[in-house]
Amino acid sequence: MKIVRFAVLATAAATLAACSVGPDKSRDGGVDAKNLSELEWGVWVDPQGCDNWIADDGVEGYMARRLDRYGEPVCSGVAPPGVATGPFKEGSSIPDVL
Amino acid sequence: MANRQAASLRGAAAGVALTLASVLGGAAGAQADQAEGARAVDGAPVIATQQQRVVRGERYTPGISVTPDGCEVWVMDDGAEGYAVANVRPDGTPVCREINVCGVMNTDQFFATDRWHIGQSGRERLREFFDEATAFGYIIAGHTDSRASDEYNMRLSQRRANSVAEVALDAGARVIDVRGYGERQPRATNDTAEGMAQNRRVEILCVR
Repeated sequence: MKIVRFAVLATAAATLAACSVGPDKSRDGGVDAKNLSELEWGVWVDPQGCDNWIADDGVEGYMARRLDRYGEPVCSGVAPPGVATGPFKEGSSIPDVL
Repeated sequence: MANRQAASLRGAAAGVALTLASVLGGAAGAQADQAEGARAVDGAPVIATQQQRVVRGERYTPGISVTPDGCEVWVMDDGAEGYAVANVRPDGTPVCREINVCGVMNTDQFFATDRWHIGQSGRERLREFFDEATAFGYIIAGHTDSRASDEYNMRLSQRRANSVAEVALDAGARVIDVRGYGERQPRATNDTAEGMAQNRRVEILCVR
């Protein structure tokens, strides 16, 4: 099982991703090429109960703290701790096999 | 800042050595500005010499993604890795495209001076607001002008925010947080009566 996982990972890494070698890290290359401004964010609730933006972009994953306009963490109760919700897997055509 | 950067980059073994001339140029420019400003005050240069340093690093230029809240996130795709962090100002407040306040109550219309009780008509207006708003939940933050002591204003703004939260809960709304910022987050100047009136407020942030 582990070997299969690793093989899938390695293949994915080798064929799909890569490409972004210059200083401009604002674009995703490969099959699901796009400008990163097009990421689809969902919310992952951390074990403290606070919201974090999460985006699964195929080979890359992104996460950033959700802040209100005062800069405080938003702990909205939108989902139980440890749960991710919203369209965060919809920004990429690469299936989430793992 | 530059020192901290250098310290964190020193460990990067495979990093290509680059001279980040424009970064240093920018920093030097900022220092020069400061020096000029200082010079105007006391007539003597504060920074007599500029130290040139070579920073070993790789340039990582981020993109910007806007979250559903309208706030900016720095994002970088480095091939098979992705990085992200909220774009915040040095004071910790996020940089947002549209400010996510869905209601600002001028407290003069709801509260008597130094009081935190909301009268019947105020209650009804607030209830209407919460009945019509469609957010998932609300963060309620009270503010005052700068008269009276900081401590007093912190207490007053918290009590007023609590009163608004009570109405929200009555209306069946979800209250995520209730805060009192006192006079610490003015929205306008406290030097004019008009500005002070703008500062006396309860802000309702809508969380979608």
